[in-house]
Amino acid sequence: MAAGPRTPLPLLLPLLLVLLPLAAAVYEDQVGKFDWRQQYVGKLKFASLEASQGSKKLVVATEENVVAALNSRSGEILWRHVDKGTPEGAVDAMLIHGQDAITVSSAGRILRSWETNIGGLNWETSLDTGSFQGAALVGLPEAVKYVAVLKKAALSLHYLSNGHQKWVEHLPESESTQYELLYSRGTGVIHVVGIVPQSHLNVLTFNVEDGEITRQVRVAAPWLGELQGSCAVVGEAVLVCVDAPERSLHLCALDTEQDMRHIPLQSMELEFADDFQARILATQPSVTSASRTQFFLQLSPSHFSLLQYKQGLLSHLRDFQQAALVSFATTGEKTVAAVLTCRNELKPGSSDGLHAGSTLEDARRQDSLICSNQTYNINLYLVETGQRLLDTTITFSLEQGGAKPQQLYIQVFLKKDDSVGYRALVQTEDHMLMFLQQPGKVVWSREESLAEVVSLEMVDLPLTGAQAELEGEFGKKADGLLGMFLKRLSSQLILLQAWTAHLWKMFYDARKPRSQIKNEINIDNLARDEFNLQKMMVMVTASGKLFGIESSSGTILWKQYLRNVRPGSSFKLMVQRTTAHFPHPPQCTLLVKDKETKMSFLYVFNPIFGKRSQVAPPVLKRPILQTLLLPIMDQDYAKVLLLIDDEYKVTPFPATKNVLRQLEEIAHSIYFYLVDAEQGKLSGFRLKKDLSTEEIWEVAIPTEVQRIVAVKGKRSNEHVHSQGRVMGDRSVLYKSLNPNLLAVVTESTDTHHERTFIGIYLMDGVTGRIIHSSVQKKAKGPVHMVHSENWVVYQYWNTKARRNEFTVLELYEGTEQYNATAFSSLDRPILPQVLQQSYIFPSAISAMEATITERGITSRHLLIGLPSGAILSLPKALLDPRRPEIPTEQSREENLIPYSPDVQIHAERFINYNQTIFRMRGIYTAPSGLESTCLVVAYGLDIFQTRVCPSKQFDVLKDDYDYVLISSVLFGLVFATMITKRLAQPSLDPSPPGGWSQTPLFHLAGRYL
Amino acid sequence: MAAAAAALRGRRFKWSLDLGAAPGARPRGAAESRGPLGFAERQLGEGGVHESDKILMEKRCWDVALAPLKQIPMNLFIMYMAGNTISIFPAMMVCMMGWRPLQALMSLSATLKALESSSRRALQALVFLVGNGLGLALALYKCQAMGLLPTRPSDWLAFVTPPQRMEFTGGGLIL
Repeated sequence: MAAGPRTPLPLLLPLLLVLLPLAAAVYEDQVGKFDWRQQYVGKLKFASLEASQGSKKLVVATEENVVAALNSRSGEILWRHVDKGTPEGAVDAMLIHGQDAITVSSAGRILRSWETNIGGLNWETSLDTGSFQGAALVGLPEAVKYVAVLKKAALSLHYLSNGHQKWVEHLPESESTQYELLYSRGTGVIHVVGIVPQSHLNVLTFNVEDGEITRQVRVAAPWLGELQGSCAVVGEAVLVCVDAPERSLHLCALDTEQDMRHIPLQSMELEFADDFQARILATQPSVTSASRTQFFLQLSPSHFSLLQYKQGLLSHLRDFQQAALVSFATTGEKTVAAVLTCRNELKPGSSDGLHAGSTLEDARRQDSLICSNQTYNINLYLVETGQRLLDTTITFSLEQGGAKPQQLYIQVFLKKDDSVGYRALVQTEDHMLMFLQQPGKVVWSREESLAEVVSLEMVDLPLTGAQAELEGEFGKKADGLLGMFLKRLSSQLILLQAWTAHLWKMFYDARKPRSQIKNEINIDNLARDEFNLQKMMVMVTASGKLFGIESSSGTILWKQYLRNVRPGSSFKLMVQRTTAHFPHPPQCTLLVKDKETKMSFLYVFNPIFGKRSQVAPPVLKRPILQTLLLPIMDQDYAKVLLLIDDEYKVTPFPATKNVLRQLEEIAHSIYFYLVDAEQGKLSGFRLKKDLSTEEIWEVAIPTEVQRIVAVKGKRSNEHVHSQGRVMGDRSVLYKSLNPNLLAVVTESTDTHHERTFIGIYLMDGVTGRIIHSSVQKKAKGPVHMVHSENWVVYQYWNTKARRNEFTVLELYEGTEQYNATAFSSLDRPILPQVLQQSYIFPSAISAMEATITERGITSRHLLIGLPSGAILSLPKALLDPRRPEIPTEQSREENLIPYSPDVQIHAERFINYNQTIFRMRGIYTAPSGLESTCLVVAYGLDIFQTRVCPSKQFDVLKDDYDYVLISSVLFGLVFATMITKRLAQPSLDPSPPGGWSQTPLFHLAGRYL
Repeated sequence: MAAAAAALRGRRFKWSLDLGAAPGARPRGAAESRGPLGFAERQLGEGGVHESDKILMEKRCWDVALAPLKQIPMNLFIMYMAGNTISIFPAMMVCMMGWRPLQALMSLSATLKALESSSRRALQALVFLVGNGLGLALALYKCQAMGLLPTRPSDWLAFVTPPQRMEFTGGGLIL
């Protein structure tokens, strides 16, 4: 008999799905159909706006180590260069000279010159080691030829044309002196100012030509603590320093003087604010000429003074109260000062609803002056006189309760009538960039905080009114037969109405050219689509700004800035109520924990509209260690959130009587596990009826040897359709689906390549029992891990073989299930069987996640973010520890692929084709309403959204399905049947033409014979 | 037939041309010549014919009763040829193999009616039943061999519900 798979019918369907080609690239016409990408640059560090009206670009360098040019008309990225994400790639300085941008990056190690029109690299040189202090362009009277880089102990001069070093000079007394200031004004000398805090300044003068120190002066300045901020160079190389406690200025001409002149400011009636480090802001329009003699003196967070020091005389030009930001800008001969002021009065912001933790507020009181209605003015003032220029006001408003402006860049140009026109680039605290034009038009804005997404959830969109009506009908209890009937009729009528409106719109749109049809999505017409493919992405960014982004188009529908979030806080976003419980609004809860103060607060909001919820979250007095979202609900269908604090007490939210009663009932089955990576301790707690906890287990992992780097449980919304795997002999290998299983990864503290190792522990989160532990010798992190169903996949660097490797662990119960009806971690006498296999992967990875679908029938793929920016969709079937080394008949029947150690990267498996995602930090997957389809969001510096169908779209007709052909064939066949039926009908006429009938003929024949 | 001939006989033709009659043969209207070929006016002998008829009948009934059994070797051969791969033709064959006995069993009453005339009706019916039963068993065996019968736990795996979770756990790295 022929050997072949003897597969029972119920298995046929999934088998067929497996047999389908596993992945396919998109077709050309599908590009951008289901996916979108948004590119960001991050928070600005340096920006340069060209001083001409027709200029089209602005060059920026950002905190995300990006050098980019933005189109000043549209805000789009013209070009972008992304350096390493580590501090090594940080841009320390950016200087603009003509069409070139010179950047110093990687802590002063690399000097680069970029061509700003196309973003090409002109040249790159590496510099000597030494901590970077400053960089400046150095001009001779006729031209700017050099760039000077100041390091802790050396000053080097490089040619602008090719980056070659002209000379490098060591700085005297560099151990004690911090050299911070670099100044030249086209006179052939470079001044370097260093400081010995609370003692004196060291002023060095170098000759540009040969680097010889022509002058070295020690200026006593015992009152001066730091150079940056409190000192600046004005006019003909005059160093101005502010001494706030003395309320005076100190001046010293760098070329000639040996001492600082002391000028008290009392006579000018300038009031210094207490506890504020006064600052000086000066400007040098061109490196070949002297600085402006005017400068700003910042006396308090909102009080600036424009002063002038000319020919030994200090004069006060203008006072700016209520100013938030000031900036200088120059075009041609004109230098102006731009001042951003609040239109109303600045108030200490407190009664604003977004503040939850009172302790956080105290810490921020100092700079929490808030412009009451968030409307700001920008005005230009002529620096020479301090006069306001007429018609130069830009008025703009920021969102209520939003962020303050943080940085101001001005692009000034002379109009045809010689008046001054300008545009302004404003960056707010929440990393939003706004480009403003007179008289207050926002040309474009960019949400740069989206470059740092830290947490993400996808929420179903609400039903439309009509759908909700229908749903509501089923939800309510019956009020009489007739009433129900009438209600049904009315809801059907509404549906009909909606349908006709839809048809009408389709008809109306069909007549318009395709380019004009814009299905604009806004917050009013948000509705769930048929297959629930369109969702609301709730994104939490590191700056504390929340976004609601519509997933099919990437439109930002709402944003909300949490003002009291400090950088470096940790976030945890949870969906407490989905949109399924109409008329209750959906509800998301964000837990924010400050890293320094350890205090946390909850922010509860509606994820669809972004509005803060009416529900009052509990005030958290103690630092929260972890949270647990229970599947039990209160009477309003909100899932119960338990917060465990540092005294191991539990706070439930919502805390209604109903919830407390339910909690009391099930308290014995609620467990917490807390992992303290610093102390190398894992501990488990059980909830008691009075909402306190008791510790029931503890596992110590000695921190001297290894440290915990990752802990992963399973996703709570994951469905596993099949409880086991069918073997070749048609028996079942049951999966060990322990919902409480944790995968803990440790890395050795010893990083020597011979001794380094990683450890993996599979633990039960309830009992603390270690189900499996293994140590991978000669392996190094960073470890990326996915934990799902009954398997764990992790990736690491093999230091011996010098390659990236994947290891997959799968857990099986065996051919018998211990308890098929209930799973309890407390009753598991048999340890699961653990199967393991490793593979070679040709690339490092930056993020990894598994696809997830509604019912878990579709085969799983691993989505692997590569450092190149591609996302590889790798079938899980390739990472299967049951892959046999020698294929047998049974393994063939199981469709197991024979083991081969290398997993290859096929470019057609990239789900993002050429839409690379820089510095991918995470991939988020969410199920859609279609079993075949999984929604994917990859985030990093860029955000990319798409859909994947791991088993192809088995439940939807393809886009190119030939409806016309099929329907015409069908109709044709129907007609053909009708016609042939008619033809085949026996004629009603009794005798055929000619009068032949059978009997006479038969008779005739008989007679003849 | 006889009635038709009588009707014809009664009919008056205006004219008719008798091609069958040879010249000088019996004049038209002679009754003997009007039957079809092999037609005999005279009745055949009763006894002998009746006897052979009965034997024939019996034979025929046995044929009917044994038909399913005779099919079995053929089915076995087809089964062997079809192999155990699941593809459209073997599947169709198995279906037919299963369907035919079923059909026969469903129309059992009609078959029994046909066997009514036989003297050994009960035995024939039994043989018929057994034959069909064997055919069915063979089809089932083939299904089993092809793995089409849900007899193993793996066949019911898709209907196994996930076990209920008894404990809830949560937490993670300290925030």
